[in-house]
Amino acid sequence: MKYFDELKRSMDWLGDKGDTFFLGQAVAFPGTGMTNTIKDVAESKKMEMPVNEDLQMGITTGMAMNGTVPISIFPRWNFLILAANQIVNHLDKMPLMSEGGYTPKVIVRTAIGAQRPLHPQHQHVGDFTGGFRAMCDTLEIIRLDEPNQIFEAYQRAYERTDGKSTILVEWGDFYNEK
Amino acid sequence: MTRYTKQELKDFETDIANCFNNGQIRAPVHLYDGNEEYLIKIFEDINDDDWVFCTWRSHYQCLLKGVPAKTLKEDILNGKSITLCYPKHRIYSSAIVTGSIPIATGVALDIKRKAQTNQVWCFLGDMAAETGCFYENHKYAVNMDLPINFIIEDNSKSVCTPTKEVWNSDGCSFKGEQKVLYYSYNTKYPHAGAGKRIQF
Repeated sequence: MKYFDELKRSMDWLGDKGDTFFLGQAVAFPGTGMTNTIKDVAESKKMEMPVNEDLQMGITTGMAMNGTVPISIFPRWNFLILAANQIVNHLDKMPLMSEGGYTPKVIVRTAIGAQRPLHPQHQHVGDFTGGFRAMCDTLEIIRLDEPNQIFEAYQRAYERTDGKSTILVEWGDFYNEK
Repeated sequence: MTRYTKQELKDFETDIANCFNNGQIRAPVHLYDGNEEYLIKIFEDINDDDWVFCTWRSHYQCLLKGVPAKTLKEDILNGKSITLCYPKHRIYSSAIVTGSIPIATGVALDIKRKAQTNQVWCFLGDMAAETGCFYENHKYAVNMDLPINFIIEDNSKSVCTPTKEVWNSDGCSFKGEQKVLYYSYNTKYPHAGAGKRIQF
């Protein structure tokens, strides 16, 4: 299957789980390529958020603390870095601060912005995978370079029992190219 | 909620202050003083299954939510005072200004989404209450009518910075707003520690 099709299959699979919930930017309303990957997820499981990454990331963590498995969507790394405090100081450190007491399971979707056919310039094409790996102690960050990685990675993010959350990094260009 | 008298709370902090000044705690402590009656009153409305979100200064909340004093003291002696977390008692504390506010909002959103009946209580200082983060979270919580209460604890400073002076304001911007409880107090303790410089 192709890159987009694997993403869609993964979202359909996550959408069928009773404890998942999708929130973020262009989730309940169209706006990005990611929107099309969740078009068949039930409307009752999707919530559009204000464009405020710190708020969204904190809300995501809070929902997970209350037993939901949120799939939180940030269309680009350049946007997600505005939630760095909530990722690095809270979601990542919470299992350590609580000695394994708080282990919220969060799935974050983000992407490296597409450069073709239109190049969105310097503030939309960042890949901060390495930087965030260096800042995080518990979070796993997986960059989805090939279609055959995708379903397995999302399945692992949902089914994992090690108390870790997962950031999955997609390539915007591969939606059309792989 | 666990019953404590004003004097019992003060005695706990005095004991911790003595431990700190004696060099028994190799980590920061942030002590309360002068706000006991406010917190005792607030906790009369907090139930066991409610969530409590705190800052780096949280000893009183932990005691009043039911964390055994012996457990709390041991954890403080082990250096955990700054981020006390007790999942069993639904307490989360963050040492980052505004850090716990969006998380508290998220728990409240999930409680409402699932039609649960418990509530969230989010404690924050007077500097955090002037930030954009609080503005956004308060607006979201009010507009969505989330089951959350924000408690602004105004000791007039952030570390040693005078909050109102640096914002050039007369008072707390959110005093009297929906879902906000506000009180002010003066403490005898410094921002961190117990008044005695410790050399390890």
